[in-house]
Amino acid sequence: MKKSLLVFIVAGLLIIGVVIWITTSSTILKEIDFLHAGIITTLVAFAIFFGIKRFKSEKRKEPVEDEMSKKIIQKTAAFSYYFSLYMWVFIIFIKDRIAIKMDTEEWIGTGVLGMALFFAITWVIFYFKGIKNDE
Amino acid sequence: MTNRIKEFRARFNITQEELAQKVNVRRETIVFLEKNKYNPSLKLAHDLAVVFKITIEELFLFEEDSQ
Repeated sequence: MKKSLLVFIVAGLLIIGVVIWITTSSTILKEIDFLHAGIITTLVAFAIFFGIKRFKSEKRKEPVEDEMSKKIIQKTAAFSYYFSLYMWVFIIFIKDRIAIKMDTEEWIGTGVLGMALFFAITWVIFYFKGIKNDE
Repeated sequence: MTNRIKEFRARFNITQEELAQKVNVRRETIVFLEKNKYNPSLKLAHDLAVVFKITIEELFLFEEDSQ
């Protein structure tokens, strides 16, 4: 199976999941739900951008991944993990200090989405900025 | 570290895409290299030097540390 197709399948499943979640939700959607939906939409857009990039590479018959793209992913993973630690500390800190009341599952969901968002943002930064070994 | 990839590519009259295919990387890696936004691995540096039939030292210019 082509790797680019896999990215589109994941993005499609994510969209279907969000649609099912919104349409079958028995309670009225809260502000935080819209924030979650917004983050998921951003991630889907990122996945589609990533998929198109891979698809174009396959079309040009060039490797889907090479040493630079692997290095970008590695550096992105390291940075986003580092930022995620601070984000979880921040979430633990504000959990009981804000007016919006959420269940533990909702906080975990927010944290996981935040991690994914951090990853996407960091990847975009490194992708457009470039990476040099001597920095 | 800077490089002369763009100069040699023009001299050999090959496109970024053709060069990328010769050294088995993505075209954007060549773009990043030419813009000095990426330092290649030793293997890629060697492969590029082989394509242009020169040494790595001729293709990549190492600036001395000004200490």
